[in-house]
Amino acid sequence: MEIILNTGGTAFQGACVKGGRKFTDEYTQEAAYCDINPEDFVALGKPWLVKITNEYGDSVVLQAKKTDRQQKGEIFIPRGPWANIVVTTYTESTGSPAYKNRKVEIEEGSGPVLGPVTLMKKYYSKRTNRTGRTPAEGGA
Amino acid sequence: MSSEAQEGQTSNKITCTDVTCPVCGLTCDDIEVEVDDVSVVTRNACIMGDAKFKELRSSHRITAPLINGKEAPWSDAIDKAAEIFVNAKRPFFFIGSETATEAMSVGIEIAEMLGGLVDGNATICHGPTVMAIQDVGQVGCTLGETRNRADLDIYWGANPEDSHPRHLSRHSVFQRGFFTGQGRFGRQIMVVDPRRSTTAEHADLHLQLKPGTDFEVLNALMTILNGFEPHESFTEVTGISREDIYKAADMIKDARFGVIWVGLGIASTRGKHYNASMAMRLTQLGNKYGKFVILANRGHCNVAGFNEVLAWQCGFPYAVDFSTGEPRYQPGEYSTVDVLRRGEADALFCMCADLGAHLPKRAVERMCEIPVVSIETAEGPQAFISDVVLPGVLDGMECEGTFYRMDNVPCYARSFIDPPFDFTKSNEDTLIQLRDAIKRKLAARGKTTETVEGAAETGSKATTLSEEEYVQRLDTLLSQPQS
Repeated sequence: MEIILNTGGTAFQGACVKGGRKFTDEYTQEAAYCDINPEDFVALGKPWLVKITNEYGDSVVLQAKKTDRQQKGEIFIPRGPWANIVVTTYTESTGSPAYKNRKVEIEEGSGPVLGPVTLMKKYYSKRTNRTGRTPAEGGA
Repeated sequence: MSSEAQEGQTSNKITCTDVTCPVCGLTCDDIEVEVDDVSVVTRNACIMGDAKFKELRSSHRITAPLINGKEAPWSDAIDKAAEIFVNAKRPFFFIGSETATEAMSVGIEIAEMLGGLVDGNATICHGPTVMAIQDVGQVGCTLGETRNRADLDIYWGANPEDSHPRHLSRHSVFQRGFFTGQGRFGRQIMVVDPRRSTTAEHADLHLQLKPGTDFEVLNALMTILNGFEPHESFTEVTGISREDIYKAADMIKDARFGVIWVGLGIASTRGKHYNASMAMRLTQLGNKYGKFVILANRGHCNVAGFNEVLAWQCGFPYAVDFSTGEPRYQPGEYSTVDVLRRGEADALFCMCADLGAHLPKRAVERMCEIPVVSIETAEGPQAFISDVVLPGVLDGMECEGTFYRMDNVPCYARSFIDPPFDFTKSNEDTLIQLRDAIKRKLAARGKTTETVEGAAETGSKATTLSEEEYVQRLDTLLSQPQS
């Protein structure tokens, strides 16, 4: 299902970051979830986990959270390394990436929600990425 | 603002009052901190401030330099970092915001010395708002005026309950100021946000617009204030009823002192600086009816300070390239995300900002391909992808310095405790040591540092050129093929 992604800070996620607890399970609890409108939540089959995929094909699995704070057709993910897997580098020539208002695909997910250390190892291990990327992969 | 340390009952217990908080753009200066050998207790601090002060006695603090994840002597780490930047052709210096302006100044100096690029947290935060200030101009005021006078607070794309937890109680909604003695009962609150945020729960009017339609809503408000009708498609496009938009316009007309607090809701969504420009034009128009100002809810402690320092050192607020010997400014070209996405930078310095956690994946991937040097206080994504980690000093706690509040008022923060190591006294000290190591390496390679030292002392090198030399230099630059 196509949906609009917004990301942003929350006080609890902020407290994890400012308190240096970025490699703890608490950070996963506070930043690795996805707020979904009740109608969309039912349409997705009342999932425990959701998989978000962006236009480049990058995807991340998050806890699904039903909340009426969201409007239908929109999701919210707290700021952090999980959200940034699917945030795109499109900056409209301002330097500021598309943290808000970008279309993504959402579906019921399977597999674990990665902890911060596992996530970093999976996506950003220096040794495996040293080989470089093709221009096509680097383009937005 | 005064800070006094008293000896408490326990021999090592320190009690400090009026401490300046180094966490968000509010720079609260009324924090009380009690520190002993094992614990930290704070008063008046919010959940984020409390977490930061507890870093003084945390188990995960980085207290020794790391090279490739292993502890190393300080001199080796500085040497390795200097080596990385001397070898780089296009070094990038990211000056984070959780440090004092004094340290930022040295970071910018190193970038200029090496002909690199420099950028700060504004680039992924209120950079578009800064561009709008350049386009339109900001009618602003200090936080003191908002707390004492504002009778209309408009939070546009901002959720201070989460981003600035003490915003509502200290500077806006609940504060009982000189002319606002009734507190909440004397103020009108409007929130413009696609989410029903916690701040929206306090609002007299919540405009729950569709994402990405800020420009249209701002435009409709200006249309009404100018005496015309918004277009008939307004509700369909923005999701806001005509009744609500007219109510919003009436609230603006009725206000004696209105404040628009803009958050990242307008800067990070589609339209970016155009949204912010329109918000500033609406502010100007609001002054036809009463006093109207606009302030950006700057998220990080000293993010406004970086814009100030870079502007007085080289004339531009962020995204600056020194590779031609003089500062050039171009967001979208020299800004962090764009430079990394294009795979341009070949070495990165990241000071007091967790870029590993806060940049999009495609930008962080580039950081995994190039050598990265970071100043960090705790383990996290940035330390994970760094080749060299230099332990950070907590500004405003372990060393003194200047922070710019979100209304661009400089606040001096005192220190009340020493860092847990002795190889550096402050992040400024760390950068001075790094700068000197780079200079020594350049000299050893036969590259003279006289010009660069001269440039640092007299500002841009361009100012020392004669008119003839300047024209010649321009011709040379223009004749080069554009990459």
